[in-house]
Amino acid sequence: MTGAKRLQGDKLTEAEAIERAKQGDGEAFEFLYHLHKRRVYSLCLRMTGNTATAEDLAQEAFLQLFRKIATFRGESAFSTWLHRMSVNVVLMQLRKKGLPVVPIEETTEGEEEGSVKKEPGAPDERLAGSLDRLQLQRAVDELPPGYRTIFVLHDVEGFEHNEIAEMVGCSIGNSKSQLHKARLKLRELLRTNRAEKAGRR
Amino acid sequence: MNCLEFERILPEVLEGGHTTERQAHLNSCPACSNLLADLKDISLQAKTLADSAEPSPMVWNALEAQLRSEGLIRRPAAAAPARSPWFRRSKTVWLVPVVAALAIVVGIKLYHPAGAGEKQQAVKHIVVAPGQTVRPVSSDDQQFLNTMATRRPARQARYRADMDDANAFIHDAEQALKSNPGDVYAQQMLINAYEQKQMLYDLAVDRSSLQ
Repeated sequence: MTGAKRLQGDKLTEAEAIERAKQGDGEAFEFLYHLHKRRVYSLCLRMTGNTATAEDLAQEAFLQLFRKIATFRGESAFSTWLHRMSVNVVLMQLRKKGLPVVPIEETTEGEEEGSVKKEPGAPDERLAGSLDRLQLQRAVDELPPGYRTIFVLHDVEGFEHNEIAEMVGCSIGNSKSQLHKARLKLRELLRTNRAEKAGRR
Repeated sequence: MNCLEFERILPEVLEGGHTTERQAHLNSCPACSNLLADLKDISLQAKTLADSAEPSPMVWNALEAQLRSEGLIRRPAAAAPARSPWFRRSKTVWLVPVVAALAIVVGIKLYHPAGAGEKQQAVKHIVVAPGQTVRPVSSDDQQFLNTMATRRPARQARYRADMDDANAFIHDAEQALKSNPGDVYAQQMLINAYEQKQMLYDLAVDRSSLQ
């Protein structure tokens, strides 16, 4: 390989790397992988809650992408393409395992999971100071799979409700209501974890 | 408006649907006000999870092997060089800081039981985010960087970034353990972070065949 052909680290653009990857340049594949690995792996990890599964799925998502890279014409951003593909890979895995990708609708009025429980006289403190990344990560891992999917896709990954509805196969209204329940459930989990932590001291 | 009515329209309020009536309820009800603020915080903090985790270096290793086997990567790999004694030693040496870190936090817990001032120092926020640079402090890190100094600048920078990420995760887990030495989740995170760093070191040698 000549010096001119060698990748120039940070000077290489994503578009150049894509073109070189189409020609079978291994370093261009590696560049693209390192550019997006954290985002793709984090998505897989948050949605499955398992590091080994997440690594397998991240590998599968990149593999599918790289197999189709010759067809990429830049109609949509490369990262958007990759993230949509990653979500599809994860959702397919969840479906294979028989896990719900969207929560079962609650039908009992007033007894929705995660609804606000107020105890008369009990202090209703804010989470504020106790909400850090590690604790939130742990609470997300504790969410039931259906809630976790909607929460991760919307609040973590930034997908819109119409995109989520299309990906998971539910209505936009269902996506909205399940997201709200997921947030309430998370708050409950964070408060419980904080109370348990305080109890150990 | 009472609390039940407010809870029903809460998703709308979270999307910015404020009215005078809703604001009046928030002003008069600390519970609903706290609930709204917590849900906003959760949603905001969630964005920090988008790229919070680092895959093991073995993922690229396996992916690259698959791409080569399918003919997508067409440049043949050269033979890998022999490992230096330091890398052979590093295979086991990383277990030492893991054990040491866990021993230290358990020791702190024993000598400073709950309520003995440690509470005041409890870490409320993780201060080092992934991607934020953490300068190497250990001699092994420095030795690793010295070894990497012979590689191309782009590859050096990538390994440096990966090492900093691993160190950031180690820092996060250690802070969590200082706050709560019995936190099994944080203990597992610490071990995972050290394993990840070990794999990074191993892979740095394996990957040298592509220099």
